[in-house]
Order: sequence, then C-alpha cells, then structure tokens
Amino acid sequence: MPREKFRTLTEQMFYILLCLREECCGMDILDKVPQMTGGRVSVGSGTLYNLLEEFLSAGMIRETKVEGRRRSYLLTDTGRQRLREEYDRINAQADDYRRFFGKE
Amino acid sequence: MKETKRRMELYSFYDRTGMERHLAEMAEKGWLLEKIGQFLWTYKAIEPKRLTFSVTYFPAASQFDPRPSEEQETFYDFCAHTGWVLAAANAQMQIFYNEGLEPIPIGTDPVQEVALIHRTMKKSFLPAQLLLLAVGLLNGWMFLSELRRDLIGTLSNTSRLFSVFCFILVILLAAAELGTYFYWHRKAATAAEQGDFYETRGHKKLQAGAFLLLGLVTVWYLLRTFTGESRMMRVLTTLMFLVYVPGIFLLVNGIKAFLKKRGVSAGVNRAVTMGGSFVLAMALVFGITFLTLYGSSHGWFKEPDEETYVAGGHTWTASNDPLPLTVEKLTGDDREGYDRQLREESSFLLAHMEVDERPRFDVEGRKDMYWLDYEVVLVKVPGLYESCWEQLFHERDHWNDGEPEEEWNFYAPVDPAPWGAERAYRWDGPLGPGSRYLLGYRDRIVEIELDEPEGTWAPTGEQMTLVGEKLGN
Repeated sequence: MPREKFRTLTEQMFYILLCLREECCGMDILDKVPQMTGGRVSVGSGTLYNLLEEFLSAGMIRETKVEGRRRSYLLTDTGRQRLREEYDRINAQADDYRRFFGKE
Repeated sequence: MKETKRRMELYSFYDRTGMERHLAEMAEKGWLLEKIGQFLWTYKAIEPKRLTFSVTYFPAASQFDPRPSEEQETFYDFCAHTGWVLAAANAQMQIFYNEGLEPIPIGTDPVQEVALIHRTMKKSFLPAQLLLLAVGLLNGWMFLSELRRDLIGTLSNTSRLFSVFCFILVILLAAAELGTYFYWHRKAATAAEQGDFYETRGHKKLQAGAFLLLGLVTVWYLLRTFTGESRMMRVLTTLMFLVYVPGIFLLVNGIKAFLKKRGVSAGVNRAVTMGGSFVLAMALVFGITFLTLYGSSHGWFKEPDEETYVAGGHTWTASNDPLPLTVEKLTGDDREGYDRQLREESSFLLAHMEVDERPRFDVEGRKDMYWLDYEVVLVKVPGLYESCWEQLFHERDHWNDGEPEEEWNFYAPVDPAPWGAERAYRWDGPLGPGSRYLLGYRDRIVEIELDEPEGTWAPTGEQMTLVGEKLGN
C-alpha cells in the first residue's frame, strides 16, 4: 500500500519540520538534522530539496526570505499542527510500549 | 598520456545502479565522467581514486534548457553542501560524485526516490520507448500486409528485409526497456515501503548484441547494394546513408544547439526544433524524391545498355538486357527491334526475375511480332515454396470477382513432363486455353507467356524442353 502523503511523517520529515520551527534555509537544515539527532538521522540533499517543495505545496511551510538562490522557510500553523499530531502519535506508541513492558 | 576518453555507454536511462557502479570503476582506473553526448560519454584523466557516484533525476530539467534553471542550481547547491560535485548532466539525469569515504546519499528516502524516478521516466523515457514500440509495431503490421499482398516481391527485396530487421530490433529493444522498467518499478515500490531501494537493472548485453548485429547487417547490406547491378539503388542508398540520416541528425541537433546557445527558452526551443526538424525532414524527403524522379526521367540512372527513342510523340526507353531466354531462341524469329528488359531482386530468401521482351514502338510491323514475358522465382528456403506457388497460382483470381463460375479464368493442370517440371498448369477460361503457363520445378517457379501474332501459343515439345533447360534449372 502506498504511503498516504504526510499522514504519518518519516523521521526525516519530522526533523526537517522541527528545524523549521525557526527560520532556516535548506543548507542549515542539512547541518542541523544530524546535530539534533547526534548523527542518528541525516537527510540527503535531493531528499531535502524535494521534501521542501512538497511541504511548500502542502502549505506546511512557507518561504520567508530569498537571498539569491538561498531561500529560507518557516513552519506554518498547518505544519505545526501536523508535527504535533506526529508527536502525539509517537507518544501514544511509547505509552503503549511502556504499558506492556514497563520501564525496562 | 591521453587526457580524454570517449566511450559509447549502453545504459538504460533509469539504470542508476548500473551507471553508478560503472562510473566508480572508471574513476578507480583514472577516468572521471565529464560530459554526456548524444552517442558518447567523455571522460577526463584523473589520479585513480575511489569516488562515490550518485545518479539522480531532476524532472523539471529538459534537454532544451539553455542553462540549468535557478531551481536546478539550488538543488546543485544543496548537493555541493554535502560534498556532491556535478560530473555531468543529460536532460533530467544528473550525475554527481563525492570524494568522501561514506557520504550522505543524495536520496535518503526510497519511497521518494522511486517516485522521483517514475515521475522523470513518465516525462521522457516512457513516452519515447512507447513511441518507438508503436512505430516498430506499425512497421511490422505494414510488413505483414505487404507479405499478404505480395509475398514474392517483399521477401526478394533486400532493402525491405533490411528495414524490417531494423524495426524488429527497435521492437525488441523498446519492449525490453519497457518490460524491465515496469518490473523494476513494481519491485522497487514494494521494497521502498520497507525502507529499501531496489537496485535498477539494465540489459547492456542485449543492447550491445543488438547494436553489433545491426552494424554487421548494415555492412552486409551496403556491400550487397554497392556490388549490385542497380545504379539507382546505389544512388538511393548513398543518399539515404550519407544525406538523409546524417542530415536529419544534424538538423535536429543543430537547431537545438543553436537555440540553446542563443539562450532561447526550453519551450520555444522544443517547438522550433520539433517543427523545424519536421519541415526540414519533409523537405529532404521531397528533395530526394524529386531528384530521383527528375534523375530517372533525365537518364541519370540510365544503365549502360539503355537507350531512349521517340515514337508517336512520346519518348520511350529501350533496354537490351541479356536474357536467359529470348524470342529468338524460343521461336527462331531473329527480327531486330526488341526492347529487352530484365528486373531482378534477390535476397537470402528468394530471387525474383521478371523479363519482358516486346517490340519497340518505332519498329515497322510490330503487331506481327512476338511478345514474351516470364518471371522466375528461385526459392532459397524450401518452406516458402508453397506460399510463392499459391501467390502466382491465385494472382489473377480477382479477375473472376462478380463473374458467374462458367466465365472464370483459372490455371488448369497439364502434363509437366515435356517441360521437365514437377507440375505444370495452363491458363484457361471461357475462351479456351491461353498462352500463359505456370511451371513448378524443384526450387523454382516459372510463369511464362508468349503472345503470338496470330492465335494462342501452343508450345512445341522442343520449346517446352528449352524453357525447362533455360528457366527451370
């Protein structure tokens, strides 16, 4: 079954949106995601480029500044809400895990 | 030491895994991809090193772009930020290399990667392959129609067989490309859901084999044409291979490159290149056709034994081709003034000879002279014999359309022995037996007709033996 667009967010989507809680350009995101995750998650340049395009057309982020080819973006309310929903989904999963396995 | 190297690389447009692997091997041998041309890829010499290559696609790019768009440049900036250097690009395909030991891949989401490749292929690769397949199948259908209409003429025509061979290769390659792509896409979409990228697979060996075969058959065809008898075929083949095919290629690429250099937008470039190429291609076709017709009527392709003469206000061409059997040999009539024409087509399947020996229009008493015509089909593949026989046997069946059965004309069996044949038929009908005979020999079929000035040709035993000796063996 193909993944329904943005119904659930991949780790990469999640951290890109998380970066964009404050204004960032694409290259900042490429640096920030590995920093935020201790190197556990990194985003490929092609993947980031395409995701930014898709987030923009889905209204989850907006363009804030254009300096030459450097474009900056910021999370919109829609994007923030989607991020929150993802956070809730992950928490629900964590709660379920704890319910069955305790804190082991 | 050589600074550059050019190679023909037979990779399918979507076969990124194959290309990445090959380019890494080339870099380890000291060759870095620099440019992707129409037919050849150019490599420059480098210090042999381990490089990681990534072939990715930018669907919005086009081969008609005068330069990379701003969005494309932004994409390149992103890639450069993670150490990826653009090596070369060809339309949507973008090839990068990275000197890092374990670089972050350009694509890190398999679902998105597969979708990106599919979006790109839907834009260029798939329509092009489907078009090739359609053109190949259309030609195949036309060939089958020609076979049904005129099996002997079609299978004895080497040029037609050569063209159908080319179209079979086109069908084979386009079907292989499409089949392999759709198989990969189905597998890749499933694997991507599990977080894996399913490696692409091309069919380099099939492509290499097809091109090698095409090259060999083309050389064989050219040798055969240029050592053949027909001057017109030599001229047409020269025009086709030296003017038409290179002309179309140069026109399309010349217009495209010129407009790109002038900075014309991709949309305008595409429209002008396509439209201009179509018009110029048509002009070339008409030009070559006109020259051929003009040349024919002005004797450019005149064979050495051809002459023109005027009779009844018209200009006629008369030949004096050497014939295996002539009116003189058959009847003993040694009057001069015959136009002797022999047309011959031969392929590895059949050889087909058609002969007409008729009195010239400027000869006195031509109405009292014999007219001889015959055709001989040499069947080189025994399996084709019956089909060729059937064609000649039923060639005139349509004459009977709408006629009552008692009015029908047909071939009626006669004794083949005097002809030295295995089977023999004589044209028959409501007006009685005719002057045409259809004779079957071991590997030949002969149809012969002799119009006598008076009456119907009833060949003597001597004449039948002569026909068997001259045409049946």
